[in-house]
Amino acid sequence: MTIAPNSLGETDSSATRALTHDLDRSGPGSGRSFATNEPGLIRGNMISDLERGRLSRVWSHRPQFLHLGLFITAYVLGCGFAQSLAIIPGTGISIWPPSGLFIATLVFASRYSWPWWVLGACVAELFSNFLWFHTPLPAAFLIFAGNALEAVAGAWLVNQTCKRPVRLETLRDVLAFVALAAGVAPVASATVGSAALSWFGIQSQTFATAWPLWWIGDATGVLIVAPLALVVFQNWRGKAQLSAARWMEACVLGLIFLGTAALSLSGYLPFAYIIMPPLLWAAVRFEFRGAAVALTVLALITAVFTISGASQFAGDPESQKHNQIMLQLFLAISAFSALVMAAISRQHQAAVLTLRQSVETLRERERELSLLVEMIPAHIARMAPNGEPTFFSKRTTDYIGLNDIADWDKPGTSRLATVVAAAVHPDDGPRMREWLSRSLATGEPYPIRYRLRRADGVYRWREGRAEPLRNQSGAIVQWYTASIDIDDEVRAQEALRDRERELSQLVDMVPSHVWRLTPDGEPTFFNKRMVDFLGLDVTDLDKQGISRLAAMIAAIVHPDDAAAFGDTLSHCLATGERFSMRYRLRRADGIYHWMSSRAEPMHDHAGLIAQWYGLCHDIDDQMQAEEALRRSELQLQQMIDAVPVRIWSAVPTGGPVYFNKRYQDHFRAVIANFETLGEPRIEELLQELVHPEDAPEVLRTLLSCFETGGGSAMRFRWRETDGYRWAECRVEPRRDEDGAVVQWYGVSLDIDEEVRAQEALRQASDKLAQATQAASLAELSASIAHEVNQPLAAIVANSHACHRWLSAAPPNVERAKITAERIIRDANSAADVVGRIRALFKQSTETRTNATLSSVIAEARDLVAEEAMRRGVRTSVDVGSDIPLVAFDRVQIQQVLVNLIRNGMEAMDSGADDGVISIRVRHIGDVVQTEVRDRGRGVAFPDRIFEPFFTTKEQGMGMGLAICRSIIESHSGRLWVEKNEPRGATFIFTLPIEAKAAS
Amino acid sequence: MRVDQLPLPRSTPSSQQRRAEAEQPLVIIVDDDASVREALSELILSAGFLPVCFTSTRELLDADVLESPGCLILDVRMPGTSGLDLQHHLAKNGNPKPIIFLTGHGDIPMTVQAMKAGAVDFLTKPVRDQTLLDAVIAGIAVDAKRRADAVIVKRNIERVETLTPREREVLREVARGRLNKQIAFDLGISEVTVKLHRGNVMRKMEAASIGELIRAWETLPAPMREV
Repeated sequence: MTIAPNSLGETDSSATRALTHDLDRSGPGSGRSFATNEPGLIRGNMISDLERGRLSRVWSHRPQFLHLGLFITAYVLGCGFAQSLAIIPGTGISIWPPSGLFIATLVFASRYSWPWWVLGACVAELFSNFLWFHTPLPAAFLIFAGNALEAVAGAWLVNQTCKRPVRLETLRDVLAFVALAAGVAPVASATVGSAALSWFGIQSQTFATAWPLWWIGDATGVLIVAPLALVVFQNWRGKAQLSAARWMEACVLGLIFLGTAALSLSGYLPFAYIIMPPLLWAAVRFEFRGAAVALTVLALITAVFTISGASQFAGDPESQKHNQIMLQLFLAISAFSALVMAAISRQHQAAVLTLRQSVETLRERERELSLLVEMIPAHIARMAPNGEPTFFSKRTTDYIGLNDIADWDKPGTSRLATVVAAAVHPDDGPRMREWLSRSLATGEPYPIRYRLRRADGVYRWREGRAEPLRNQSGAIVQWYTASIDIDDEVRAQEALRDRERELSQLVDMVPSHVWRLTPDGEPTFFNKRMVDFLGLDVTDLDKQGISRLAAMIAAIVHPDDAAAFGDTLSHCLATGERFSMRYRLRRADGIYHWMSSRAEPMHDHAGLIAQWYGLCHDIDDQMQAEEALRRSELQLQQMIDAVPVRIWSAVPTGGPVYFNKRYQDHFRAVIANFETLGEPRIEELLQELVHPEDAPEVLRTLLSCFETGGGSAMRFRWRETDGYRWAECRVEPRRDEDGAVVQWYGVSLDIDEEVRAQEALRQASDKLAQATQAASLAELSASIAHEVNQPLAAIVANSHACHRWLSAAPPNVERAKITAERIIRDANSAADVVGRIRALFKQSTETRTNATLSSVIAEARDLVAEEAMRRGVRTSVDVGSDIPLVAFDRVQIQQVLVNLIRNGMEAMDSGADDGVISIRVRHIGDVVQTEVRDRGRGVAFPDRIFEPFFTTKEQGMGMGLAICRSIIESHSGRLWVEKNEPRGATFIFTLPIEAKAAS
Repeated sequence: MRVDQLPLPRSTPSSQQRRAEAEQPLVIIVDDDASVREALSELILSAGFLPVCFTSTRELLDADVLESPGCLILDVRMPGTSGLDLQHHLAKNGNPKPIIFLTGHGDIPMTVQAMKAGAVDFLTKPVRDQTLLDAVIAGIAVDAKRRADAVIVKRNIERVETLTPREREVLREVARGRLNKQIAFDLGISEVTVKLHRGNVMRKMEAASIGELIRAWETLPAPMREV
């Protein structure tokens, strides 16, 4: 069969679709596009527009002339085939192949081209009618109308039910095709055709007898031709690419098929249906195409054998009708079976292919995934919900140095614990375990940083993260962990941190304050020392309403410096000049310290100020020292100016270089034209200042000083505003190490009052001496009077008593006698006193006799014995054995001894009870030394007690010790007092040994 | 007590003897000079008085002779406490013993001070026997009078002690010279009662007349008279 119209919908360019479902296609040639022709479904209200549109579409969808010609030719040939097979006498109805062609063509063509094909079919059928059928024209038209209706209905139904393009590859398509195109559609043709035959009475057919024959003939034609037509249309340009094995199989199958067909249909084999296995083989192995070709071949062979009468379907005219039906049934059943089988096979093939592709894809994916997992530069692991590792990526195992997870297994401990213990850094292990257990417990993903041991033993930092995979009920099915190497990053960070820390330490450790300002002066950084010093950080300066700079100035700069600080800083900020200033800064404890501060701007690329960097160090000590120095200098200056002396200094040659303020004031007051004098010369000054009588002498002295380099002191009279005053001037040189004069210093002080006072004092002293003489005499007289008066008073009282005793009646002579004896004694005593006083004043030596001191001491002791007893005082005497004879006045020395002993007793009167007066006599050199030692209160004024009228006693005249000293000195001896330890005093007197005089 | 050269008897008198001599005035001599002390003692003895000698004021204060009747002869200048100091001390302690000062060289301020402080006399050495003895007699008389007055005062005080407070008030008003009815009005009692109290006062005070009563009242110490 050669007719193969194709590309009927080639103009349908609007909707082309790649035949992706054609998995078995052998080449691109079969990929012609076919119209789904959606534009034909325009919905419009306006009929005229619709009609116009449709008409234009019909015109634009006109098929190619070649295709139409081929269609008509095929149609005519089909008619011829039918005519040749219509062997049943009286009917003329047989297999009607054009119906299959017609339906297949319409199914394949776009709907708008259908009128053309119908027209073509009409022409072909009328032509065939003219050639073979010879039915009257109206009947022929009617029959054609039935056929066209059948084709249109069949094509429409198939298109509605089957997917485009119609390939009959699925069972559903096949069944739908068989039911609709081969089952339902021929109903129309059979009904119209049978009606026409019966109407026109052609060949005396009745509607009832004609209808089944017509229906089955059309159905068989559709079943056999339509698939072939579809195959031809679809593979018009395609090249079948079959392998050699397939070709071989096709050939073998063809031979078997032809053989079987020939044998079975020629009647050699008793049963026509024996052809079914090869037919089904073709359908199974070569699917739709195989089935179509085989069916066509079968139909042809059957037709040939039937026409030739060799077939079992040929027979006598009685059975011809039955045989015809049998034949048609045979063909229909064969076609149906083959098509169904082909569809099943096709479906099976497609399924197998899909499955294989799926498996392949899956395998590809898995490989890709595995590759992906391995290629990711990270460690991937999987863990069971309880944390047991079940998978490590190869990178992981290579890194750790293990081949298999199972190598980790150790009896007794979990695999996880083993991994952590073996591979994680000991410092990170606990943290890691904690993290794992927490994550496993809560199911929360948790990132962690840890160090993992590489196979070569090096620990490297990694950052890991685990995520759980949960099933639909939310339970954790697996844990997936990934960790990446961040060692370089961590080390870089550490290095950076170290450097930053070092830098920060440097900034903090420099013994100065380092600070940073923004270009507009906002402080942004203080170093630690500064923070410690101030007690606040930059952020502490943030206050509402005022800038940080203003807050800083207010908070830490001394109020007296704040304005200057602010002005200077704002000036520098405005001009970019370097900032340098000294100011006081408040320390945290509130004490202000002097600071020396400098700041310089840092410029960016564009030359604008990016930051200000400042350095500020504590110069408080220095400032304090300077201040102290200044103060001390000021004090010294003030002192020099304030002391009531005039101070000057001069160069070594005598040129004056400095006069203190007092001096200058003096100059101004005295010298009329001092201000205009200029550099004063010393001669001029002296002439102006010094009394004319003293000036030459002063000048000479000064000049000689300057010449010889020796200091001097002089007195002269200054000229003052109110006359001349005495002054004393002293000049001393300051010398360097070599002794050369470096500078002259002089002081002049006013001694006018002293000079005058000395004069007055001298005069007063003279007067005093005279007065003292007089007073001394008066006192001495009083003392003498007292000494004499006592015995006299006793004598008088005794005399009165005596007189009374004698005048009494009778006279008491006994008492009178005692009284008279007392009178004599007292009178002698008075005479002794007078004699001693005379001896004192006469300094007489006549009474001196050589005697031993021990006898005098014994007498003196007796004299004071009564008083000593009364006062409870002991006297001890210790006289050396080698005491020579000494010439002395017995009474005077006795008086001295009594006086000293009595003094000692009185000194001890208020003291302790164990009063002892010890008297010691020693021969020392050429003198005899006598000591009288007491334990009394001692002597407060050892220098003065020997002075006349000096007394510490209430009643003493102050004459006793003075007289004693004069007595001892009249004997060429000495009398002095020494202090005793721990208390008391020792009075010591010496007497010279005059051995020659004594002999 | 140290008694120097007491002629009669030579030995230290026993306490019985001293009690027997209690009525005889004692002339106490204090002088640091032994010869003067002896002489004065002899003179007093020769005049018939009983002398007692002390060498210092401290010795005197240690002895309990100051309560006895008699007078003091004091040297102004003595070691330790002087005569003037002793006078001051005795006056402070309420001992009104008459004092005769004796000094070798007295001056006017010293004399004035001593006399203002109540000394009987201020004599200079050497002293005439009659001058000293007159002073001694005067001192003893002053002392005797003072003692007698003290007895009366003491008796009057004892009598006043026996009065009731109301009688004492009446006595006070009477002594002020107020009339009976004035007293009655002031005290808020009847005149008859005043007369009754007055009679009791006269009887208890053993006063024969109003004048006697007023004199007795006058002898009372000031605090007592105020009540």
